[in-house]
Amino acid sequence: MTKILQVKDLELSFHTFAGEVKAIRGVNFDLNKGETLAIVGESGSGKSVTTKSIMRLLPESSSEFKNGEILFNGKDLTKLPEQEMQKIRGKDISMIFQDPMTSLNPTMTIGKQVMEPILKHQKVSKAKARKVAIELLAMVGIPNAENRYKMYPHQFSGGQRQRIVIATALACNPQILIADEPTTALDVTIQAQILELMKDIQKKIDTSIIFITHDLGVVANVADRVAVMYGGKIVEIGTVDEIFYNPQHPYTWGLLSSMPSMDVNEEKLYAIPGTPPDLLFPPKGDAFALRSEYALQIDMEEPPPFFQVSETHYAATWLLHPQAPQVEPPAAIIERMRTFPGSRYYEATGGRA
Amino acid sequence: MADVLLEVKNLKQYFNEGKPSEVRAIDDISFSINRGETFGLVGESGCGKSTTGRTIIRLYDATDGEVLFDGVNVQDKKSKSANKEFNRKMQMIFQDPYASLNPRMKVMDIIAEGIDVHGLAKSRKERRDRVIQLLETVGLNREHAERYPHEFSGGQRQRIGIARALAVDPEFIIADEPISALDVSIQAQVVNLLKELQEERGLTYLFIAHDLSMVKYISDRIGVMYFGKLVEMAPAEELYRNPMHAYTKSLLSAIPLPDPRYERTRVRTPYNPKDHQYGAGDTVQFREIAPEHFVLCSDKEFEEMKAAHTQNA
Amino acid sequence: MQKDYEQLPQDKFKRITLNSDHAERIAKPSLSFWQDAWLRLRKNKGAVVSLVVLVLMIILALVGPHLNGHDGTTQNLRHANLPPKMQGIENLGVMDGVGNLGGKKIDLYEMKKVDEYYWFGTDGLGRDLFTRLWQGTQISLLIAFVAAMIDLVIGVIYGGVSGYFGGRTDDIMQRIVEILIGIPTLIVVILMLMIMEPGIKAIIIAISITGWIGMSRIVRAQILKFKNQEFVLAARTLGTNDKKIMSKHLMPNVLGIIIINTMFTIPNAIFFEAFLSFIGIGLQPPNASLGTLINDGYKVMEHQPYVLLFPAIVISVLMIAFNLIGDGLRDALDPKMKD
Repeated sequence: MTKILQVKDLELSFHTFAGEVKAIRGVNFDLNKGETLAIVGESGSGKSVTTKSIMRLLPESSSEFKNGEILFNGKDLTKLPEQEMQKIRGKDISMIFQDPMTSLNPTMTIGKQVMEPILKHQKVSKAKARKVAIELLAMVGIPNAENRYKMYPHQFSGGQRQRIVIATALACNPQILIADEPTTALDVTIQAQILELMKDIQKKIDTSIIFITHDLGVVANVADRVAVMYGGKIVEIGTVDEIFYNPQHPYTWGLLSSMPSMDVNEEKLYAIPGTPPDLLFPPKGDAFALRSEYALQIDMEEPPPFFQVSETHYAATWLLHPQAPQVEPPAAIIERMRTFPGSRYYEATGGRA
Repeated sequence: MADVLLEVKNLKQYFNEGKPSEVRAIDDISFSINRGETFGLVGESGCGKSTTGRTIIRLYDATDGEVLFDGVNVQDKKSKSANKEFNRKMQMIFQDPYASLNPRMKVMDIIAEGIDVHGLAKSRKERRDRVIQLLETVGLNREHAERYPHEFSGGQRQRIGIARALAVDPEFIIADEPISALDVSIQAQVVNLLKELQEERGLTYLFIAHDLSMVKYISDRIGVMYFGKLVEMAPAEELYRNPMHAYTKSLLSAIPLPDPRYERTRVRTPYNPKDHQYGAGDTVQFREIAPEHFVLCSDKEFEEMKAAHTQNA
Repeated sequence: MQKDYEQLPQDKFKRITLNSDHAERIAKPSLSFWQDAWLRLRKNKGAVVSLVVLVLMIILALVGPHLNGHDGTTQNLRHANLPPKMQGIENLGVMDGVGNLGGKKIDLYEMKKVDEYYWFGTDGLGRDLFTRLWQGTQISLLIAFVAAMIDLVIGVIYGGVSGYFGGRTDDIMQRIVEILIGIPTLIVVILMLMIMEPGIKAIIIAISITGWIGMSRIVRAQILKFKNQEFVLAARTLGTNDKKIMSKHLMPNVLGIIIINTMFTIPNAIFFEAFLSFIGIGLQPPNASLGTLINDGYKVMEHQPYVLLFPAIVISVLMIAFNLIGDGLRDALDPKMKD
């Protein structure tokens, strides 16, 4: 597999009136060609900031790269001048935002908006760009694209608008597509359609997708690999099966068990107590320790390094240190682990066979 | 016979009635909620579920129909004291934890608002004690009383909103999408809190949401709304196991679950209202196809569904 | 990724149980909205400097007329048309009492045998301009503050009622406003000043008669925005009455905008008063306002520029200060309005 994007030791801070907010505190991940990497985490975990920093969309006046690099095609995006960055944005890396209502310009026809990046980044005639735009609109499932090409965004429904946004993002066949909660503002039935569309498109044009969401159901649906973020750091990263069926970090345990299962009727939901840390005053050790029932003494003192679970699976928790005590994950997690070959609870016959 | 607390009869709520821009937000719906149970109302945005909640609590005046609370029609003009009593018994928890607390008031005063309006505390000390007790009930503590809403996280704010509603000792709480704006890990906190409170205080809930999995977890019975109409209503487990209306089926099939193996095989069934092919002679109405299980259907569909249901069961 | 983990003291791996209060702790110090706004305002250098300047101006306007022992209304023709002269800096070559006379530079104080110092000079009637300047500033500020307060009271009540009750009330009230807006302000004001006896009262009434409309529209828009917010709905479901919803929920939230708007109304009123006085329908002599002083100065601008200079500087500084404070307050009170 070729690594298309490498994020190394990324640290980024915001300067606010109240002081320095350490929004990203050392993030490492690679993106392989053609895969979908989902970044999950709650608001304030740094998942959106990470991708916005890849796109360099953060306000230069208040944000600052403290450390690390973002390597794309051998170039470090953190150090690239703005002009160079503009050539990459929308062409090699493009982005889809959460709200389809505000990410389209209401005074421009949708055709023009899809054409815009084509005309900007590729040397083609207007007629050719128009043709490409109509093809794109048809590909994302806008029926009758030749005629609707001249319509304005308000004439489309929310789901269709998100399709148009996707068409715009795909206009230049980007190598990386960043989708920042693209379905959060949509209804479930529309969400399902958009997810299907994105998977479909990925098969067709072989682009890599970074998918940001807080919805684990969506992650299970779209992701090849998953990175779980908490308090400005990645706490666990692995393939989708590893994260869902053999999670190692107590935060991942908490996330997975706090969703009600449709099949079983639990008496009480597992809930992570408390609230996420305030990154104006980042905790000294493991950011999650204060909310974790599995906290160790060392969690209060030192941030945990990444421990390797498998070739593709890493987790940052002291629980994986050989000296750490063996702990029992929540019941729902044991249930999941039973079905995963290689986990310590695996039963060859067990699980939902 | 169950003890009915709230009964909604043929409720209609039209906006801009008679004009070309008329919107039938609620189009003739009926249901009842028993004392101590949780009734879930699900549907997609714009289906009228929130309007239903707001009409029940009289934030809107209904166009037609009745809402009976404890046998009394809430839409009738009543004396000031009767109105106050009604406000005390029925409370609401709102969706947006950022917009539902006044940013200029301290948490103490936000929670105490109901206490002040209804004169539930005799002295300042009693008022303070009650607020602190309420804060502790929702998992916060006395230090939080002197702070302002913007200092809290979404989940904490939502709990403050719950404390505010609880301050007047209500019997019935309308929870209007109380968790949709919250993070997953926080949703469980709020839902657990609501459940605990229900057990302790015998509360009755109308739980409005678009997230079917959470609704199924918390509700005893669920109603599914589609474009202002109630299309299906059944006990939670029954609705999930035996969805009958095509819309419910499509809604259920669209929910992604945190289970990659299931997700790889999930098939979505799209819903198209035209598939019903209702003719001119069909009377489409709410019918009971199995005990407690109602579906909006025509005569023909009714027979088919009844047959299908017996087969499944 | 490290494979061999360093050996750590075993007791570091003890399980610990944490108090759940820990998880709910808020690290930030508690700040009310106003404290927060003050912190933000303090970081705005322009606004802070303007605030200091403004306070100095107001102090000067209050004590200035009594500083040099001259009285602003006594005419003394022997001392007429003297240029500025101030102790201390007269040796530096400025404000040394030297003025133009028939094209030559002459120390007029020596010529006219005047021993007193007129810091900002005198006018054609021999009145001390320093005293008159601060008296004028006083009156200008007074007119502006009172006019702004009247705008505020009428505008807030009118806009508040119109926005909160909505429906038919709002329709009627807004039609009235539209009619009022249709009449050119200047014509109303000139007519008003013709009927009434000219003076401070007349000018204040003239400025306020249409001035409140802007405020009422802003307040109405804000009330419309807030009255359907969930915290207001929550108050209604709790049974809070209209009066309390207005005073406890709506007004505190609209207050920021009201203050900002007032900060921009005051300089406008100062300017409008100056304009009226300048075209001769404002304050009547011997009363001074910045407008009348500028009017006087403009007549002798070529020969005695200082008569115009000082009031012009004061009015400009006031305008800039009020506007910068207004901008600063806007950023501090309503960070979202920036863009």
